[in-house]
Amino acid sequence: MIDRGTLAQALRQQPLADWVVLEHDQELHVRDGVSSRGEIRTRWRIVAHVDTPKGRGTARLAIDADDGDPDEVAERAVASALASVGPAWESAPAAAPARVELEDPAFTGELAAIADHLLAALGTPGVQLAPTARLLREHVSVLGNQGFHAEWNATLARVDLLASAAGRSLLVAREARRLDALDLDAAIATAAADLQLLAQATAPVPGECAVVLAADALVPIELGERGQLGVWDAFAAQADAVLAREGLARFHERSPIAEGADHVPEPLTVESDGALAFGLRSAPLGDDGDAVRRFAIVDRGIAAGLGLSPREAALRKRDPNGGVRNLVVPPGTWDGRVDGSGRTIEVRRLRELSIDRFTGDASLEIALAVEHGKGPFAGGTIRLDLVAALARARRSSERMRRGAYDGPSSVWIERAELLA
Amino acid sequence: MTWNRREVLGGLGIASARALLWAFAGCVPKAPATPREAALSAEVSGEVRLWLQDAVSRLHAVGFQRVHALAVRRTRATAAVDVIGASVSRGRADAAVITAIDAHGSREQVTSRLTEDGVAAAVRALAPKAGPFASIDFGPKPPPIRQPAQLDDAALVERVAAIEHRELPSRIIYTAGLLDVDDVTVWSVERGRDLVQQIVRVLRSSTRVAWDRDRPSAIEVSRAWAGNVDAQQLDAAEIAYARDTVLAPMTPGAFRDGEHPIVLSPSVTAAVIDAAVRALLTSRAARRPEVAARLAAGATIASPVLTLVDDPTARNAYGGFSFDDEGTPAEPQTLLDRGRIAGRLADRAGVAAGLATVAGRGRRPGHAGPVEPMPSHLRLAPGSAPIALADGYQLEIARGASVDPASDRVVISVGRALELAAGKPTGRVYADVELVGELGALLASITDASQDTRTFGFRDERDGLPCWRSIEAPFVRGTGMLRARRRPA
Repeated sequence: MIDRGTLAQALRQQPLADWVVLEHDQELHVRDGVSSRGEIRTRWRIVAHVDTPKGRGTARLAIDADDGDPDEVAERAVASALASVGPAWESAPAAAPARVELEDPAFTGELAAIADHLLAALGTPGVQLAPTARLLREHVSVLGNQGFHAEWNATLARVDLLASAAGRSLLVAREARRLDALDLDAAIATAAADLQLLAQATAPVPGECAVVLAADALVPIELGERGQLGVWDAFAAQADAVLAREGLARFHERSPIAEGADHVPEPLTVESDGALAFGLRSAPLGDDGDAVRRFAIVDRGIAAGLGLSPREAALRKRDPNGGVRNLVVPPGTWDGRVDGSGRTIEVRRLRELSIDRFTGDASLEIALAVEHGKGPFAGGTIRLDLVAALARARRSSERMRRGAYDGPSSVWIERAELLA
Repeated sequence: MTWNRREVLGGLGIASARALLWAFAGCVPKAPATPREAALSAEVSGEVRLWLQDAVSRLHAVGFQRVHALAVRRTRATAAVDVIGASVSRGRADAAVITAIDAHGSREQVTSRLTEDGVAAAVRALAPKAGPFASIDFGPKPPPIRQPAQLDDAALVERVAAIEHRELPSRIIYTAGLLDVDDVTVWSVERGRDLVQQIVRVLRSSTRVAWDRDRPSAIEVSRAWAGNVDAQQLDAAEIAYARDTVLAPMTPGAFRDGEHPIVLSPSVTAAVIDAAVRALLTSRAARRPEVAARLAAGATIASPVLTLVDDPTARNAYGGFSFDDEGTPAEPQTLLDRGRIAGRLADRAGVAAGLATVAGRGRRPGHAGPVEPMPSHLRLAPGSAPIALADGYQLEIARGASVDPASDRVVISVGRALELAAGKPTGRVYADVELVGELGALLASITDASQDTRTFGFRDERDGLPCWRSIEAPFVRGTGMLRARRRPA
């Protein structure tokens, strides 16, 4: 059997320069209309470093089982680290974990009962719902050879809904650490309104237009992990320190993220905040045991910082920050009204979003949009240079929290191309 | 600029990136290190069956109408060789899934402790008062499973290195080879059925990366099968195809968007079929009213050239099995019969809900995750002769495909489009093109399928658990809307 104590003891006996063990004790429950599923599991994550005359090697091991030989795990960590020796670097001294709340007090008692209650409370204003609730409660322990030890509890809830009415359907998803942050009533009400629009939708007419990205298109949670940041994921990719070091990032620190991005009336600022209370990607410590810190990726249109793992930080002689986590974007002053002189479409839902992580070029496949002055349509693709478009976009003054994003609830992009 | 790191593998759009990164997290092989996972003995297999039989008996005794007990022991060995070195990773996962159904619905308890105590604890979670055994007939005893010889780390790497150290032009900036072996034993016990299956799934791939103007461009060739690790090899022609394709200069300038005659290479055909079946031809997809209305049994949705069968019994199929993860014995199922809807893939819940007539595709990621209807080994029927295209584009290297079940819209990303005129390549090759439109219109436009086919294996993960499937597809000829994916440099 693997346990924290024997694993730490086994790692201490190896010639390791540094190591961290993360233990996730998880309880999961999945509930839909006709079935329920409970699961108990333990997941181990081990990061170990060896220093050699040629440099430092790092091993990352993942073990999803209770049984195993800790000595064998430790030996494999050493061998693995020796296999990946790269430039030498030193671990930074352990820093204090971020103080962040991740446990919803409403997660008390049996997860099955919480899931039942959650599904029973769903309203159905004229739509048929097929919901699935997924609940996770976990205890995380982190142990490092520098002597630090941190523990915390976390909760996570996700609800996926198939909403249908009059022969049309939509997928809706919400994910949050707190049950009351799921805001399912609002999600269902919006879906009901969108299903009515879908019933009237026509085919898209290609051409240039201004685009409003509404909340569900800005952060389409139903698209899975890549939907947690939605269109803002373009900035997470650009803040990837490895990509930047390899010369593959589009913009570079201390330069404008797009031409003129620093001279627009409301220059864009994007921050990574891994200490955001109940943030989907918040944590006191990163996967390498590094303290999570808030940092700016873009500051008033200028590229400001990168997500730095301990290795990337050491190579740059900076402090690690836990990498890119939740993205926080200050709202703008746009009141939601659009200039009626040109063609404007409001994208309400996406069915697919692909972002080129090297360039920020994006294809937004439209599930539902409304052309101002004409009516709803379904289908079509918006092709955007997403970095430049968001740098120049007008941001709404209304704020929302959705997935791993906290920022304006809609943006207005002055010029885009709609393809049929 | 030099670029020889593994770290950006994830951004190159190659299917095996995750497996390569997993392998490189492993260790340098220490010949003759023998894998420590103990060979599965007949005694162990017999014990597992007894624990599952006990679970089924106890839960029937407390009144559940149907009880199914599934156990899985899964090992993975992944060897990779790249320009930096060689590495092997090994993983193991055990699980037991106990499902009990009564008038209130289905309840399931999962444990990662595949022991007598672990299974008993799962039973107690479902029925705290479970006590005596009910007398159950489990049917005939399954034949003993034969555990194949385990390969040590050095032997695995040797098999990858054999294909990696061939000619490497200097313009190729990164190369990697992969051998990924999943060895799974699954026990399934319910009233009247006591089943065991052992599947060794093997995936070999070779990746080449070169610069295409301002960014790295990658291609991989692969083979996937079930059975002996050495049953298939990547041959010289496949390796040469990867090398020549990644080195081929792409035509600069913008691609001319529009409706064109096209030939889909088997990898692109497979991507379309895979996305379409998973989005449209399952009992889960049929919960969407648009899908149920559009794809009713007997509806014509494609050209009569197209007949599609899902066959888990296909010999040595990477996605094959002898029973699904709900214990239903494998049978081939026709999904499209000369363009007409002939069936849809379903789990038992789908059949119970009236969304399909036949179960047998209730599959669980890693054999232990939540059950859902998924394809096994899809086979698109070949034609009777080779096909040729006079003018148009041949689309190669599938990068991804998505089908919107609500609207039938399809977007297929392809690595390159070769322009053809008068039946010959013009020399223009466009990178990053996409095929878009209505899936129904695209499938209806198919006029020919080639005689020769290729088989592709897919191994993707959900919540860290693997899903395996495979597709055998020919070249097909039709018409489609093509457009550039990238802005001109």
